[in-house]
Amino acid sequence: MKIKYSIFDRFRIPAYDKSSQMQTGDLIFDPEKCNGCGTCVQICPGGCLLTETTTKVDILSGKAKGGKYGVPHVVQMKKGATLCIACFDCGTACPRGAISIKHNFNPGYHFKRLTQTSDMRYPKRG
Amino acid sequence: MNVKEGKLEEMSPLYAYEEGMPWNPVEKIIMERRSIRGFRSDPLPDAMIERILEAGRFAPSAGNMQPWRFIVVKSREMLAEMEKDAVKVIKFFMFFMDYTKGNFLRRIVAKIYAKIFIRFLPNELQPVPFGLMSQIAQGQTPVFHNAPTLLLLVEDRRGVSCPPMDIGICGQNIVLAAHSLGAGSCWIGLIKVLMYLPKWRKKFGIKYPYRLEVCIALGWQKPKADGMVPRETQIVEWYDKGLNDAPQMKKQGE
Repeated sequence: MKIKYSIFDRFRIPAYDKSSQMQTGDLIFDPEKCNGCGTCVQICPGGCLLTETTTKVDILSGKAKGGKYGVPHVVQMKKGATLCIACFDCGTACPRGAISIKHNFNPGYHFKRLTQTSDMRYPKRG
Repeated sequence: MNVKEGKLEEMSPLYAYEEGMPWNPVEKIIMERRSIRGFRSDPLPDAMIERILEAGRFAPSAGNMQPWRFIVVKSREMLAEMEKDAVKVIKFFMFFMDYTKGNFLRRIVAKIYAKIFIRFLPNELQPVPFGLMSQIAQGQTPVFHNAPTLLLLVEDRRGVSCPPMDIGICGQNIVLAAHSLGAGSCWIGLIKVLMYLPKWRKKFGIKYPYRLEVCIALGWQKPKADGMVPRETQIVEWYDKGLNDAPQMKKQGE
């Protein structure tokens, strides 16, 4: 296979906060299915899911109580990139199946991933 | 496919293969294992940790050198202290390096030398750990996920061939065994930051020939988060014709 990784790619470090140089995971939250339990906010690896009323640390430290936190969203940096790495832990933990994912995590230039494609598939039994 | 429904599905027997048959128990554990970052505060029973360690003891290694040393940390005070110190070190680094947050000046100036650092430590400062450390420095997420037990995998650098690989194999055995027993686990590479502090190097006895690069958090899962997720399909080359023929490209997972 011809792997497209040029010298230019090799030496250029992407700007981690620019969405044009970093493709970060794209999560879609279904507000009709979501009951605001906060499970996804609690288990997000980087703490990059927030709801209007709570954050991961609030739930872990027991500061947020009640169990109705509202529909979460992904934190976005000023230049558009998020911290979502498309691990989809939130989606597996969600008791209602309210989260879906659009594409994978693919940083640009030096850290470009070369044989992974953007389609996300469940394990297939061959 | 909803995984929550998949829990009841029947499983195939071990040591047999038919096309399209359901997962067997080993495959099921492999596919459904997720890195667990939410733990109950009570630790696993000691006997269970010993049993999980047995899976590590019987892992394959190059030349059967078993280049590992296990350290189990259950002491709450020590875990709290480790967390505190790790956050301290990360805050120190991110104070200089984090150009993704903060004011206008920081965004421009820090970016210039952060990119130079990234060139020197491309693995440690890849976008994923960089983002994570940035969040930790902001107090948005803990380092060790408040796990009740940490299992440190210390590498003996005198092993055959490539000792870090043996550590990986051993650790994966441990992780799969833990999940098959109903516990949760998470690989944590950020324990590396503690190695900048002589205090912790001395405490754990990390000097030549030892090196500590990774640890595994173990505990009972609090929100049950094991389950299958979608992953990127992968392009695989299959050399299945003549010597000079081009390989066939197949998309793995489609």
